[in-house]
Amino acid sequence: MNGKYLGVITNNQHSVFQRNVIAGARQVAAAHGYDLIIDSYAEDEAHPRPITLDYRRMAGVLVIANAAPPDLLRAIYEAGVPLSLVSHAEPDLPVPAVFADNAQGIGQLVRHLVEVCGRRELVFIRGLRGQRDSDEREAAFAREVMRYNLRVPSAHLLAGDFSAEVAATALQSLIASGARFDGVVASDYLMGIAAVETLRAHGWRVPDEVAVVGFGDGPEAEVVGLTTVAADVVEQGRRATRQLLSQIEGLTICGITLLSVRLIVRASSIPRT
Amino acid sequence: MNARPTNKATHRQLRQHNQQLVLRAIYNGVANSRAALAQETGLAKPTVSELIGELIEAGLLVEEGHGRSTREGGKRPRLLKFVPQARHVIGLSVNDDHVMGGLSDLSGQVVAWHYVALDDAQGEAVIEVIRATINGLLAQLDAPLLCIGVGVPGVVDPQAGVVQYAPHIGWREVPLARLLQQHYRVPVYLANSTALMAMAEYVYGPADQVSSFAAVRVGASVGVGLVINGAIYHGGGEIGHLRLADYSPVEVAPDVIGRLVTFLGWPYVRQRAAVLRRAYPASLLPGDDAPLTYLHIHYATVNGDAAALALRDELSQSLAQVFAWIIGLLRPDHVSLAGPIADLGEPFLAQTIAYTRALLLPDLVERVTFSLSTSPNLVALGAIAQALHLELGLV
Repeated sequence: MNGKYLGVITNNQHSVFQRNVIAGARQVAAAHGYDLIIDSYAEDEAHPRPITLDYRRMAGVLVIANAAPPDLLRAIYEAGVPLSLVSHAEPDLPVPAVFADNAQGIGQLVRHLVEVCGRRELVFIRGLRGQRDSDEREAAFAREVMRYNLRVPSAHLLAGDFSAEVAATALQSLIASGARFDGVVASDYLMGIAAVETLRAHGWRVPDEVAVVGFGDGPEAEVVGLTTVAADVVEQGRRATRQLLSQIEGLTICGITLLSVRLIVRASSIPRT
Repeated sequence: MNARPTNKATHRQLRQHNQQLVLRAIYNGVANSRAALAQETGLAKPTVSELIGELIEAGLLVEEGHGRSTREGGKRPRLLKFVPQARHVIGLSVNDDHVMGGLSDLSGQVVAWHYVALDDAQGEAVIEVIRATINGLLAQLDAPLLCIGVGVPGVVDPQAGVVQYAPHIGWREVPLARLLQQHYRVPVYLANSTALMAMAEYVYGPADQVSSFAAVRVGASVGVGLVINGAIYHGGGEIGHLRLADYSPVEVAPDVIGRLVTFLGWPYVRQRAAVLRRAYPASLLPGDDAPLTYLHIHYATVNGDAAALALRDELSQSLAQVFAWIIGLLRPDHVSLAGPIADLGEPFLAQTIAYTRALLLPDLVERVTFSLSTSPNLVALGAIAQALHLELGLV
């Protein structure tokens, strides 16, 4: 190897977020004559294997979400290998990262539900606690609840783990408990789609009775007609790779690059009639 | 012996001025052909053609399609279009605890934000944080960098490009524009943060048909930024040190007793919230160890919380003093309230306007419109707007 390789550390490279980040990274890397070496552990979530990337032989390393433990990040940093993080930050290391603007996105979704659709009894489906995107979106939702003075009992904050199945199960239990609500905000759009399907399967009318919105966007959201904020994940992969290449070229970067998001209104959220 | 360089400089300035005239006319949509531009700018046609040739060469203009020929007939003119993506501009804001930067195209469309924590940095170390922020955005450039604008809270000399005094980062007489210019080899423009905030609100904000404008920012301290007769006014800035009374609402060091900052600055508001919460034990305001924000106070007030209502009332009375002075002195068309305190929402603004009215002749307030801005990045946006204005004559 001659150093024209960029390493990518990820879990589960075939799930939607990771796949799109890698696609963006691959475009920029190829344009600059680099190949990607992907170390994807936990393809089988029950039996994750250790991370074996030979990072010392990489020109730089991209880490997706919290795929690498802090001590590995530190080892890569201390080996002098340029490092960029996607949707993750390590407070004790001066390593830069690229995020979608989670606060702006959740702000736009809640404003749409409250001001345009007239919904006030909201349910929030969170992602994976401990993951930075997930925690920021949950904190942003709590702020919007205060801004609009909404009543959101703690039973309406559902675990979703960024998994359509987990989100559907949690929503089913909430429905079975007899809870009343008129809007759902999902921390990602795949859980939002699961929410639309679950509600309809239980005879609830979406969007008339319950309006549903989700963070992020993809072709699946368009098919179902889910209102989202588009956070272009392929673009996030491209931007993170440019950040990494700039470091390889000698630019000192730390801190966080934030990419703006854009509200896309579709059929899953309409004004109350 | 000096005559030649001076002539040269004058010639270059004139050329730049004429380029700006042409570019601005196209940017604002008042003319889009060589003939129309000559008429609009009053420049000779050959001069206009030459300037346009240079602007096309630089990528700032493209020829696109044909217009209609004149009544006398003849060739249909080539139409010209401005290319906002041809250059990028960086706007920075040195904030209380971080440096925030935006990378924008020439229409002010932000491509990416980048921020770096200050971690209590002082002096030289702050310049390193500013560089790290610029570097984070350089990695995302899609076009050549045209210039950099920077907003710093404190006393700034925009002409000299010097920060004269910025206490919270320990700066005195820091020639920031020169330091950055040497490093990045593009023009760098400095201004006071609150002045830039006013610029951003003036250019991108909700108030139309306004020529005089005041932006009041309340956060850790209090600042006033002014646009007077359509031009940013650089003499404004921090007013937190002004004395409002002979007491303070909380216990403070003797040298700051009565100063405006002790009535409205966030560290003192926090202190006052803790006192009020102890006076009203059933309060909805979070306890001493929990995080408190203006949104918490807002939420408590709309739920009828007595401690929060008392606090909001005190804050609006103090802010009304600031509004009254500004309106009494300057009679602006519009006053915008920005900074973290804007999270207290419309009820707070309405209450503040009511108190302001009681402090002034009634007719004075009726002429003024008010708005709230909760946008967190106004200073960086203002730095972009100001840099575009100075470099290309746009916005």
